[in-house]
Amino acid sequence: MIDDASHIKRIFNSGQNICPPNPCPVLYGSICTPACETSWDTPSGPALQAPNREHILGTDDLGIDLWAQICYGARNSILVGIGTALLSSLIGVFLGIVSGYFGGITDLIVTAAIDILMAIPSLPIMIVAGAFFGPSTKNIIIILSFLSWVMPARIIRSKVLALKEESYIKVAKGYGASFSYITFKHFMPQIFPICATSFIKLISRAIVSEASLSFLGLGDPTSKSWGLILNFALNFRGIYFTDYWKWWVVYPLAFIIILVLSTATLSRELERVLDIKIAGQ
Amino acid sequence: MTMFNKKILKLFLTFFTIITLNFSLPRLMPGDPFYFLSGEQGEITVSYSDEEIQRQKAYYGLDKPVLVQYGRYLVNLARGDLGYSIYFSNDVWTIIKNRIPWSVSLVLLSVIIGGFAGTILGCLSAWHRKGPIDNILYSTMVFVSEIPPFLIGILFLFYLAAQQGLFPLSGGMTPFADYATWMERLLDIVHHGFLPALTLSAVQMGGFFLIARNSMITVMNKDYMTTARAKGIGTARILFRHALSNAALPIVTRMFNSIGQAVGGTILVENVFKYPGLGLLMRQAVLVRDYPLIQGIFLTVTLFVLIMNYAADIIYKRLDPRIV
Repeated sequence: MIDDASHIKRIFNSGQNICPPNPCPVLYGSICTPACETSWDTPSGPALQAPNREHILGTDDLGIDLWAQICYGARNSILVGIGTALLSSLIGVFLGIVSGYFGGITDLIVTAAIDILMAIPSLPIMIVAGAFFGPSTKNIIIILSFLSWVMPARIIRSKVLALKEESYIKVAKGYGASFSYITFKHFMPQIFPICATSFIKLISRAIVSEASLSFLGLGDPTSKSWGLILNFALNFRGIYFTDYWKWWVVYPLAFIIILVLSTATLSRELERVLDIKIAGQ
Repeated sequence: MTMFNKKILKLFLTFFTIITLNFSLPRLMPGDPFYFLSGEQGEITVSYSDEEIQRQKAYYGLDKPVLVQYGRYLVNLARGDLGYSIYFSNDVWTIIKNRIPWSVSLVLLSVIIGGFAGTILGCLSAWHRKGPIDNILYSTMVFVSEIPPFLIGILFLFYLAAQQGLFPLSGGMTPFADYATWMERLLDIVHHGFLPALTLSAVQMGGFFLIARNSMITVMNKDYMTTARAKGIGTARILFRHALSNAALPIVTRMFNSIGQAVGGTILVENVFKYPGLGLLMRQAVLVRDYPLIQGIFLTVTLFVLIMNYAADIIYKRLDPRIV
């Protein structure tokens, strides 16, 4: 039997394998530190300035510093990413274990829910739900979690189905072990690598979904997320005929791409190191 | 046969869930229709008297019990009546009908072009496995497949359309243009649709590449491939006749399954290029809070995806004799 510690050791022992050029930690580090004293929601200079010493990434049409907006937006993206991943992992792991272990009517309902949610395209449903419940970071996290618990639940259910037949679980049950004892003593250590990988995958997907929603103007209008900066920039009249896009559009775009790619490479590496395959949707 | 029935049942159940969701969302929402009809917060609003509200509710059937409303909703849907758009003052289905060809052609084109390009590159990569071509292709495609399509679209829009001026900035065809021949008209549509289609195909290509490469590598290790090579047949014939025809199954299935994903990408990319499809319409409807229209589009799009997924199942069964 493999315990938690050995999985973590496997991740860290292969430390040099987890892609050295991965800018992910660097990015988080640079953003989580209070890097900019400039304000992200009030003008701090002339409008539409190209990057210069005072505003390293330039300013937007209201004269708000772009680097400050990007720093603030990163917090939003990471909050939505990690919040969604946490919530949907909790729901997914719980439902996966319960439906795999107990079977019967519970399993039937959970599998039906999984099948239905897998078949529905997620972006339209996000737009509809966002339109009806109003855009706020909390609502976005709830909607995204409701749509993405399926991924961990499906894999964990099939893993638990296989584990349930192992003789040591049957013996433990024979000795009168309760559901929670078996879950925490026997299932959890086996499920841990799947959880870790799907957690990172969920973060990556949530970040993309949040950026898409706020690009469409359905994000939280009070907080400057990266997608919202792009939305404002593309709705600016004459953005196509001037050079403003060179900083106003390119930098937020680059930051989203870097964040998405780095979480994606992280999850790929994790999959490789822990030797599991989670089929992408 | 039972398998077939189960699939149908699942399809039906899914669609039923979507309809129910569509029915209940506006009713779960805080506030009521009169709040939205009477204007935004802070504006000078037209207020309704209680009597008027009662009359309106009776007119729209909102004073009946929920189950009766639900029944009426189902009957209307069965008749093809999706409601009336408040903003466009037109029948929802009429509005949607005009937009469908734009979106569907974009989705289908991108899947077909992306599918072909991805498959050919995948074959190439599998043939040169572990060589420099494979390495470069593989790492590029992994990255491309992860980048969300609308970001690639924005890059294309600003570089190729705005900076270089090669393509129009927005729209599906030149407004108020007089076309001498249908050929001219077609060229104009192609010119406008090129960038959106290119963006979506580029993203689709990544996924197809990875599947084609995997599938080809599996086939390449089979004994009959060694035989074919020993017979001295040309590379192209081995690659496309012997290997690809055996590796095609997962690629074809993927083609149908990825239509579902492509729909999400299309909604976003249409908004980047202001392409007059359902995605752009959906965003407009959301901005003006035209709820019947939002629901109508949602229903149409999900039904399209469900049917495509179902078609993928059927085709998979037809192609693979091992599945009964």
